[in-house]
Order: sequence, then C-alpha cells, then structure tokens
Amino acid sequence: MNAQPSTKLQEIAAEFAELEPRERLELLLEFAEKLAPLPARYQAERDAGLNRVTECQTPVFLWVHIDNDQVHIDADVAPEAPTVKGFVSLLVDIFSGATPAESLAVEPNLVQSFGLVEALGMVRMRGLQAIAHHVRRKIAEAAAA
Amino acid sequence: MAKQYAHPEVLVSNAWVDEHRQDSAVRIVESDEDVLLYQQGHVPGAVKIDWHTDLQDQTVRDYVDKNHFAELCSTKGIANHTTVVFYGDKSNWWACYAFWVFKLYGHADCRIMDGGRKRWELDGRPWQRDPESQYPRTQYVAQDPDPAIRAFRDEVLKHQKGGKPLVDVRSPGEYTGELLHMSDYPQEGALRGGHIPGAANVPWSRAVKEDGTFKSAKELETIYATEAGLKRRAAIIAYCRIGERSSHTWFVLQYLLGFPKVKNYDGSWTEWGNTVGVPIEKGAGQPATHPEAVGSGT
Repeated sequence: MNAQPSTKLQEIAAEFAELEPRERLELLLEFAEKLAPLPARYQAERDAGLNRVTECQTPVFLWVHIDNDQVHIDADVAPEAPTVKGFVSLLVDIFSGATPAESLAVEPNLVQSFGLVEALGMVRMRGLQAIAHHVRRKIAEAAAA
Repeated sequence: MAKQYAHPEVLVSNAWVDEHRQDSAVRIVESDEDVLLYQQGHVPGAVKIDWHTDLQDQTVRDYVDKNHFAELCSTKGIANHTTVVFYGDKSNWWACYAFWVFKLYGHADCRIMDGGRKRWELDGRPWQRDPESQYPRTQYVAQDPDPAIRAFRDEVLKHQKGGKPLVDVRSPGEYTGELLHMSDYPQEGALRGGHIPGAANVPWSRAVKEDGTFKSAKELETIYATEAGLKRRAAIIAYCRIGERSSHTWFVLQYLLGFPKVKNYDGSWTEWGNTVGVPIEKGAGQPATHPEAVGSGT
C-alpha cells in the first residue's frame, strides 16, 4: 500500500522545515541526485524532442502513465539544471504509486511547501510551480484517457 | 590568433584561475542561473553570490543598497583591493550581471573567467563539492552607485526620443513581439510584446562561442559595429527582459570592444513593456540580419 501523496508531501515538507534555508538546497540537491535515469525506452522520444515541458526554462522531459490506477512518472532533466532536477525528483517521489484522484487532491501550489523561497527567490519559484502544474495536468489527462 | 580586446585584463583564462585559487589577493565568485550548481560542484575555493537572493532587494525592486553590498563583500572575504573573478553557467550570463553590480558599487578590479563553468568542465579542471569556503571578514567600503553604467526608464525614454542607439539583446521572437519571453522560459509578466522603437536586435548569445568563451575582438566588431551599426563613441543603452542578458552585452561592448559610453537598462522589457504612455514597436524593426541571429535566446 502506497502512502497517500498528500501525506508524502507533508513528510517531505517536514524534512525541509527542519533545515536552515541554505541546508534546504543541499536536500534539494540530494533529490536531484536520486532521480532515476530515464528508461531506455523513452530515450529516442526525448532525443526527438517529444514530451518536453514547454513551460520550463531548462530541457525537462516527462512521461506520465496510469497503470492499475497508479501514477507512474518518468523524467529526464539536464544535469546542468540541478534545481529543476531536484524539484522534478520531489514530484516523482510524491506522486508515484498514488491514484490519479489522490494526486489531484494534492495542494496545487505545492512548490510553496518546502520553504525554498528564501534560498531560490520568486523568479525561480515561478518556474518550478509551472512544472508542478504541468505534472498535475498530465496526470489529469492520463486519467481521462 | 591573438585576440585584441580593448581591456584584455578583465578576461582571464581558466588556467589563470586554476593557478590563483590559493591567492589571497584574488577571490573567485560563482554566479549562476541555477542556484544549486554551486552546491553540485564549484571551482575550489570559490564563493557563491546569487543574483537573486544576494544582489536584489525585492522590497524595493532594486539592487541591494550600498551598505548591504558592502556587508555582502565583507562576509565573502572581499576587500576593496581584491581581484574578483566571476564565472558561472550560461556562458557567464549571470557572472556578467554580478560583475556589473560590482562595478555599479565601484569595485575596482573585476574580471570574468572566459568560458565559465562550461569551459572549466570541458578542460577537465577540478570541482569542489564541500561547503562554501570561509574567508576572513573584511571591512568593505562601497561607493555610491555609478550612474554611468545604469540607465533608468525616464532616461531611456529621452534617449529613445532623441533617436540615440539602443541595443535589444533578446531573442528575435521577443524582439518582434511574437513572444513575451524567451522560448522555454517562464513568462515574467510583460503585457505587451515588441521592442523599444529604434532599437537594434543583437541577441546576446552571438557574442559567445559554442564552448562558452567570447568570440574574438574582430568577430565582435563585425557583429556590433558593422552589422548592428553601433558607433564606438555613441551613448548606447542595452536592455533585455530583466537586465541580465544585457549586462553580458554591456560587458562585451564596454570591456571587450572598448565602447566608452554604454549603459545597462536593467528595468528592461518587464518595465518598458508594462509602462503606461511609452511607445513600442512591433515586427522586424532593425534586426541585425545574420543567420546566427535566428534561434533561441540561450
């Protein structure tokens, strides 16, 4: 049984909240480093520029599928964009294995939950929020398909 | 071929930086678009200065004031006589921005590490993962902001009405008004698309090569003087969307080509495009017609 995504969000948010703003960047970097490599089956699509998140500043590629009422997310983010990569990794952690209904019940502006505004600044926060909205939309689309 | 930049001393090679990492007269500063890159790995001994969280004061939509700037330098172990070498991601885009802010507050010896992070990586030089190096605190004294390198809106309006040269360093799509922001970048809130009437379009990225290093003086002269028609002695104002890309072009014009009267309009398109009562122009205007000018802003 997978934890509810809103519970996972709270757990991760609590982990961030315990840290000083600068240390939160270290934790975000840990998330960036644990994002699984893109499965080989998607690499050709990525190289062809498919599934790119157009709202984002850096090349971010996302595949969202629903299998047995569970969300699966595969992603690829350029290594020179660790902030974005770390945030995408957070989203993968939060939503993977949840049902679409549970996922869509999660706070849409979840980027605000990690206490990162001080360390990142508003401009970067907006970019990350755009990715969170993109993931949410893809989950809704995949669930409707 | 030897490059003949107007002020060659402001550009240092990464080999020079590698040799001066332990030099107490030198402080190496990383400034990036991606705030985690420094944590991921930086030039050993470098300190981090973030354009957004260290250099800007959101409460006044301006740079940090003179006292805050002095405090920042003091905590980073930068003294008034320190040689400060900036480098970063995106072909030193943010490094040039930090360089510009340091010049704004009168820091004497600022330099850019040619090629930034990219060239350092390509050359297989070492990265340090440890926390930021701490240096003895200094008693930095900042100067009043230098009005010679910063343009404000009213001045830009007067400049534009007087038919004086402006250079718009955004991507062609942003310049023509087709896009409100760089493709692939988040929209940062301009209500109108287009450019300041009369501005020439020279995307900032034309000044750099594939490896992130600057093009030769001769190539830069061709791009900015011959093609865009900028006159060396003229008062020139550069702008982009929020003043970051244009600080890169400001650096090229002022230090590499030696144009003496260049200002950066950091209010840029997010201010101009939203301002009541100021004119804009849409469409091709006077873009520099060059095949490389077509493409993204980055």
